[in-house]
Amino acid sequence: MAVSKEELLKRLSDGVLEMEEDDVVEAAKEYLEAGYPAFDGIMEGLVDGMNRASELYEAEEYFVTDVLLCSDAMYVGLDVLRPHLPEVSSDAKVKGVIGVVEGDTHDIGKNLVKIMMETAGFEMIDLGRDVELQKFVDVAKEEKVDLVCMSTLMTTTMGGMETVIHLLEEAGIRDQVKVMIGGGPISQKFADKIGADAYTTNAVEAVKCAKKMLNIA
Amino acid sequence: MLTPKERLKAIFEGQKVDRPVCICPGGMMNMITTDLMDQIQVFLPEAHHDARQMAELAKAVYEQGCFENYGVPFCMTVEAEEMGAKVDMGTKVYEPHVVEYVMDSVSDYEKLTPVDVTKGRAGVVTDAIRILKEETSGVPIVGNLTGPMSTASSVMEPVNFYKELRKKNKQAHDYMDFITDQLIAFGRAQIEAGADIIAISDPSGTGEILGPKFFKEFAVTYLNKLLDGLKKENVGTIVHICGQMHSVYKEINEVHSDVLSFDSVVPMKEARANLKDRVLMGNVSTYAIEFGDPDRVKMLTTSCRRGGADIISPACGLGMKSPLTNVQAILECLTEGV
Repeated sequence: MAVSKEELLKRLSDGVLEMEEDDVVEAAKEYLEAGYPAFDGIMEGLVDGMNRASELYEAEEYFVTDVLLCSDAMYVGLDVLRPHLPEVSSDAKVKGVIGVVEGDTHDIGKNLVKIMMETAGFEMIDLGRDVELQKFVDVAKEEKVDLVCMSTLMTTTMGGMETVIHLLEEAGIRDQVKVMIGGGPISQKFADKIGADAYTTNAVEAVKCAKKMLNIA
Repeated sequence: MLTPKERLKAIFEGQKVDRPVCICPGGMMNMITTDLMDQIQVFLPEAHHDARQMAELAKAVYEQGCFENYGVPFCMTVEAEEMGAKVDMGTKVYEPHVVEYVMDSVSDYEKLTPVDVTKGRAGVVTDAIRILKEETSGVPIVGNLTGPMSTASSVMEPVNFYKELRKKNKQAHDYMDFITDQLIAFGRAQIEAGADIIAISDPSGTGEILGPKFFKEFAVTYLNKLLDGLKKENVGTIVHICGQMHSVYKEINEVHSDVLSFDSVVPMKEARANLKDRVLMGNVSTYAIEFGDPDRVKMLTTSCRRGGADIISPACGLGMKSPLTNVQAILECLTEGV
């Protein structure tokens, strides 16, 4: 007897929320075998689960370690479903570049923001950590990104963010991108001082803020 | 008149004193700035490798009126490097940081080299403490350790580490036991060399990342194993944790250190209200110290004092470009009008 689409979507969503990678893979395969569209499986299954995880994170019932494991479960599900998506041009997606500025290797916060942004449909180019400042600008230019996201957890390296903003100006693309910053020592005041477009305190806020700045519903 | 050492000791024991002390332990809580290096012409990163230079910089911190303590080292990479991680020693303005991990999973910890406290930079740190002990008196010497969770996530990819706390729970505990034993050995060597206080900074073991359950199961458990392993008469202990505390006040109160220290996101008033009987240290914004002016720093110092801090300190490591006058403003504020 065929399993209903709703039931499989719920299993995908619950599997992500409960960090059960094996369940997610199994549900994703069954979902495809039953002939349901991959796109819905991603949006109403996997992403729904990740959204529920981020709600629990906001409510402080889930913590960073939980969200990391939920995202692992989401990504294994994506690996199964994504090859079955109809071709779409990648130009349609809003692009961002993200990284931890030079001198710092703390990237947990950056990874969370990347996960949440990808969940929300952004295409994120991850430069990793300890990123040479000029690289943010080079990639932003080459890839024609809409967002430049930077983080650091150290007071000693936060000045690099201001340098990147100057470099964006020098490259003549400052007005084509929105600059978002975050991390432990960063504040709204610092963002104002260096001329960043936005400062957010956590990954969920970052997504909301990015959507607002770019007028995405 | 109390010496800085006597005043700090009294505060550690919970006695009333004339005023709070102003210290900055070292380690993750770096207190070396370019201004200070220029003053005495001893420079980082070279001093990370040289006990004499390290001791001279530590002395300058006190002699230039910045803080009422000596402290070494000036980074949080010694333990990871001695266990095999590759470290970029940084520059005059950037701190050292790990650039290459030793292993991929908690179950691989036999790949780590046990810390030999007589060799490498561990030896430099203990030698520097010995120099301070011999050549100074009346000022407390603080030896520093990177906390168990932070050390554990410095020799392997932190994301994998955090995930494996759940996925490979048993092996994660075995790994943490190993790491903590290394830290106990290094801490004991620092005490033997003459450290009056051991400060443990564990910025990666935060309640925000771990949540209350894992914070208790891992961060608190291994901090306590470390603290109990260092127990020795006349040695005080400080534990510094980063991030918001509101979800883990109950758990942090179970940590066996003499003093608890938080970063600037934690309002001192809130910490005091939740930890009534603890000796608290903190938490002047290092952003204000680097980018503000002396008046702003003094205002924040007063606010920490009123909020209930027994020991005033920067909330995090100082940015190396912090102006000397801003750094000195904390202590000035405490000694004015006493």
